[in-house]
Amino acid sequence: MERMHFQHELESLKMLVFKMAAASLSATRKAIESYMSSDTGLAETIVSGDAEINCMDIEIDRRSLRLLALEQPMAGDLRLIIGAMKIGNELERIADQAVNISNRAAFFCNRPPLPPVPDIEKLINVSTLMLEKAISSMTKMDVELAMEVVKMDDQADKYTLNVLKTVIEMVISDSPDRITRRNRMEHAIQTVIVSRCLERISDLSTNICEHVAFISRGVYIKHQSVDCDRG
Amino acid sequence: MDEKIKFCVKDLDFYYGDFKALHNIRMDVPEKRVTALIGPSGCGKSTFLRCLNRMNDLIPISRVKGNILLEGENINDRGVDVVHLRRRVGMVFQKPNPFPKTIFENVAYGLRVNGIKNKGVLQKKVEESLKRSALWDDVKDRLHDSALGLSGGQQQRLCIARALAVEPDVLLMDEPASALDPIATQKIEDLIHDLKENFTIVIVTHNMQQAARVSDITAFFYMGKLIEIGETEGLFTRPQLKQTEDYITGRFG
Repeated sequence: MERMHFQHELESLKMLVFKMAAASLSATRKAIESYMSSDTGLAETIVSGDAEINCMDIEIDRRSLRLLALEQPMAGDLRLIIGAMKIGNELERIADQAVNISNRAAFFCNRPPLPPVPDIEKLINVSTLMLEKAISSMTKMDVELAMEVVKMDDQADKYTLNVLKTVIEMVISDSPDRITRRNRMEHAIQTVIVSRCLERISDLSTNICEHVAFISRGVYIKHQSVDCDRG
Repeated sequence: MDEKIKFCVKDLDFYYGDFKALHNIRMDVPEKRVTALIGPSGCGKSTFLRCLNRMNDLIPISRVKGNILLEGENINDRGVDVVHLRRRVGMVFQKPNPFPKTIFENVAYGLRVNGIKNKGVLQKKVEESLKRSALWDDVKDRLHDSALGLSGGQQQRLCIARALAVEPDVLLMDEPASALDPIATQKIEDLIHDLKENFTIVIVTHNMQQAARVSDITAFFYMGKLIEIGETEGLFTRPQLKQTEDYITGRFG
């Protein structure tokens, strides 16, 4: 009794999660590109492509629910299905953040360029790297790599804070005229929104890694400061 | 947590003639909890279950080595009264096996064998046992009808009532719901939940979902060996050994 059919279904669920991960990563990369280059055309493709990612999320939920109800999975199989549902949810939210970033591209393309915010690029790099590594840890079920990503989250938080500090300085600095002040204010707000989206992407990547540890070893590495081992 | 141990099994080997059916089994059965024994056919789980009240003594070629301590006393010692042991360690089988007697007499049987003749006492004990086995409401108006007229699920609960009437400490159940429909199975499972308040239960089941639902502790047997034992929740969500994982996830080829 090898449960070949069930194994096939599990494998297919895994492939769907991988496909969704690739789509969310691609959306994130393109969103960042559209933001950096103020490419509204590219931004639009991300917004319109989000529906497909949402459908994948629902499909993962449907298949998982069916496997739980009909196959009564146990142990590693059970953890994989629960983990797939949770990772699907994280990926869907990552794709939503990509859409948010893309929406900012439209704003920046209509505005005169202002001095760059230095740490936004560092934040982009670390968030993207965290997402790439989180997906890689998931496809390889590599808990060590997942733990590495979790540790990177502090960097993302630090850069987010730096971006915030920089834009505050930008806003409160003396401006020669009202239009420039207005531009600076808008620019600052949009930059804070983008940095917030990137910080969320790094948080959601961390969540994926926590699910990887759960699927692979059945351990909870999230919320470690809280004692949840009762009962 | 201080948990009282009902059975302490040490280095148990069991033979059917030359065939060694159990190899060096070591495990504790905690009191007032449900311990499930799982494993593929022929793995030794039923043999082990039957060792706990010496039902295997009925097989002439069988032989046992090692110790099974029931509250510290070795049940295989020469001086042990097997009838008394089986009163303390009752058993329910896969197929309901009521006697061809009335419902009342089925439950009263063990009490009569133990010398209880007082009608009032018998009636009280029969009623108590039928209530404990969740059968009272079904049969209270037909206690003197034949037990063979009951449904399969009712017959199994009657067998449980019969086992409970002599007030055992331990109840051994060998696939008690495998011949029952889902509703009757549900009743037996609910009953197991209720009974563990007062009794220690050891259950053999092929149905892993059932083991997961009803037991506190699960022991996985394979080829006469105890492979893994642990809290049921841990064993079914995070087994320690690959062999256990392969079995419970159906990857045993």
